[in-house]
Amino acid sequence: MHLEQLIRERRTIRKFNGIPVSENLVMQLMLKAEQLCPYEGEARWRYVYAGTPEAREKLADYLSEKIMGNKMTKLALGKLVESFHKRFMEVPANVIAIAKTDPVPGKNAEAYGRLCRILQNFQLLAWEQQLGMVWKTEPAPVLQNEQFYNRIGLNEDERFVGLLQIGYFDKAPKGRTRTPAERRWTAMESSSFGNV
Amino acid sequence: MKLIDQVIVPLSELQIDHHRPVSQKLVLELLNHAVWAPNHMLREPWRFIYVDRGEVDKLEWFSHHPAAHLIIVIKNSSNPMKQNENIAAAFCLIQNFQLLANERELGVNICVHKWMSDRQACAKLGVSEKETIVAVLELAYGVKHQGGRQRKLPNSLNWSLLSEG
Ligand SMILES: Cc1cc2nc3c(=O)[nH]c(=O)nc-3n(C[C@H](O)[C@H](O)[C@H](O)COP(=O)(O)O)c2cc1C
Repeated sequence: MHLEQLIRERRTIRKFNGIPVSENLVMQLMLKAEQLCPYEGEARWRYVYAGTPEAREKLADYLSEKIMGNKMTKLALGKLVESFHKRFMEVPANVIAIAKTDPVPGKNAEAYGRLCRILQNFQLLAWEQQLGMVWKTEPAPVLQNEQFYNRIGLNEDERFVGLLQIGYFDKAPKGRTRTPAERRWTAMESSSFGNV
Repeated sequence: MKLIDQVIVPLSELQIDHHRPVSQKLVLELLNHAVWAPNHMLREPWRFIYVDRGEVDKLEWFSHHPAAHLIIVIKNSSNPMKQNENIAAAFCLIQNFQLLANERELGVNICVHKWMSDRQACAKLGVSEKETIVAVLELAYGVKHQGGRQRKLPNSLNWSLLSEG
């Protein structure tokens, strides 16, 4: 597939079929994703993987725990949360992406940006293998809360960047068109250098 | 060529060709593919400022070597979580752009500078207080340095299993 086509046709996949995903393949693609994003020095990010049935159950527990912890919602939404839990558990492979934070703002932004770029490479490389995913950043009570961070072992000097839910799929949704870049465009050009 | 077989040659590893401009037309063409980046709720938080070499002379904090600069700006969100999602989406777009440019043998350096948070510098570029500069891309054509130092590619990941925690 041509690169332009790959970039345009990649879709966020939220519904997977049951075909198992190999951890080895996920790691290989992530390594290539890093190689396509050259950097100097130490990697200031890491990944936590959940792919075995036990790990997936554990992750589903963590993701539903905060909602279940509340007695009111447990009564009112018990069934709903159960179906949440089941849906989480059915995701074949999960990668939690974590970046190091830094008191120096520039360094902080650098590590975050680089990890985001790596994850985009990973999405494209996976799509080339017919492997789909959704990058999740949902707010509390599901993802972005202290209890969940403690469960996954996030350290003081780290930040959660995303949960990638990964799997094979039967059908890709239709893409929603994007605004042309021309409509978001400003040019600062000197008249002596008209190179359009 | 499949993406899995591509190799990125960043601008820093090129001997810049100072006579070859990077046109707005090309940058727009690549951007119109790059905007297919994932972005939550399809907020498309970005806008672009293209600065040609002639203009760079008036902006003392810019490097003078690249043929053009492309500044990636996002609209700020008062919700820090959304702000992070918007920054993440912008970096996905930037990565798309880097891959596409690389295929056309256009060198890109993705820079995060200190001055990007300086109000005066932003004002000079027409970037308002309600916006943030995410990165500045330096763009130029060139040929790979002969006998340049071979960059080491990463060969392992910081990888662990949830059940180990
Ligand atoms: C940083 C980031 C966070 C996202 N968070 C979520 C999320 O929490 N839940 C979700 O369903 N999709 C999430 N997405 C996916 C976007 O909603 C998706 O990219 C957008 O709808 C465009 O669809 P496409 O990726 O198929 O082009 C996220 C994407 C990015 C880049």
